[in-house]
Amino acid sequence: MITLVKKNYNKYNNEFESYELTRNGITMCVPLDEANTDYQAIQQWISEGNTVIDNGN
Amino acid sequence: MAIDKVTSAALETSTNQPNFRNIVINGDMSQAQRGTSASSLTSSGYHSVDRYTTSIINLGTWTQSQSTTVPTGQGFATSLKMDCTTADASPAADDALFIKHKIEGQNLQYLKKGTSSAESTTLSFWVRSNKTGTYITRLQDSDNSRNISQSYTISSADTWEKKTLTFAGDTTGALGNDNGSSLELNFWLGAGSTYTSGTLNTSWNSITDANNAVGQVNLADSTSNEWYVTGVQLEAGTSASDFEFLPVDANLTRCQRYFEKSYQMADAPGTSGSGGSYGLQFGGATANIDATIIMSTRKRATPTLTVYDLAGTSNKASYYTGSWNNGGSLGGSRGRETYVHVDTNISSSSIVAWHFTADSEL
Repeated sequence: MITLVKKNYNKYNNEFESYELTRNGITMCVPLDEANTDYQAIQQWISEGNTVIDNGN
Repeated sequence: MAIDKVTSAALETSTNQPNFRNIVINGDMSQAQRGTSASSLTSSGYHSVDRYTTSIINLGTWTQSQSTTVPTGQGFATSLKMDCTTADASPAADDALFIKHKIEGQNLQYLKKGTSSAESTTLSFWVRSNKTGTYITRLQDSDNSRNISQSYTISSADTWEKKTLTFAGDTTGALGNDNGSSLELNFWLGAGSTYTSGTLNTSWNSITDANNAVGQVNLADSTSNEWYVTGVQLEAGTSASDFEFLPVDANLTRCQRYFEKSYQMADAPGTSGSGGSYGLQFGGATANIDATIIMSTRKRATPTLTVYDLAGTSNKASYYTGSWNNGGSLGGSRGRETYVHVDTNISSSSIVAWHFTADSEL
């Protein structure tokens, strides 16, 4: 179960480059790739009204 | 001497080599990179044996494992086992339990689905359960929302039985020639009335939930219940050939297109220890050490990267400052189809070390 999603920014060019996803107590880096099923799950999670944490770059 | 025709079966016989006629990857259940057993399962996901995901929708609690219980004399060493640990004898309408194997469309173009020349496919597998009765298998075309089901019967309790089922070709709905999930093979193990109240759909049709799993027994109705499967083979044509055993390296490489780990094969991700870990050492202490590791196999798509320190904590790295420490921060690590890049955010260390998993499952 997804408990947390944060935006990750590239530390060199400050571009939004991935999501940090915490699910079932494990934190992972999810690419911005529509073919990635974790990316798809995050989009579904967002569409259900959940909020992505964005602390900026 | 004239040679009239070289068939794939003849070629295999003559060379004693596989020809990759099995559409299913890891059909002998020999690879289990995520671990050989996962317990207390109540949610869907990839839990143990590679390439098989489990949909658990409010129907029991399960231990899934890579078992060494296998049919005698068939050459198999492992099977996938589902063991019910909390029963649900009265499924609600929408409850369901099934094993799924997802297949990329670009590996299925030779089935010519969606054309007048569409190929039939034949599924064969060995199965065993204490729970006798009717079970359902299904092929689902995820690109066109179509499916077809077939039933099989487990006749004798606790006895391995080989099942062979042929699915007609589908002249409607071409499969995408891409890296997405186009076809799913489902093994139903339990279903509520939403999926059982109609007539079993034994020809290709648009999906009607009520026709998906008609007659399916409820494997979740007792904690005594267990179900095993191995030797899963799906192939073009109307007959089943002998199971196509692959060398272990070939099978592992095929699995690693979808999931790869740095850990030793016997260690599940998150296991504490350094075996198989990657590291980088400098002559003196420095800050924010980065490293790029080329993976064994190119991934299906950009993978999800999980980095673990040597204590098994995710999103952390281990680091050396005169002694080893765990819990070092990361700063922008990422996976790509061919490599992982680990970017630490540790103020001063001379060595960093970590494990990783890269997941691009369907």
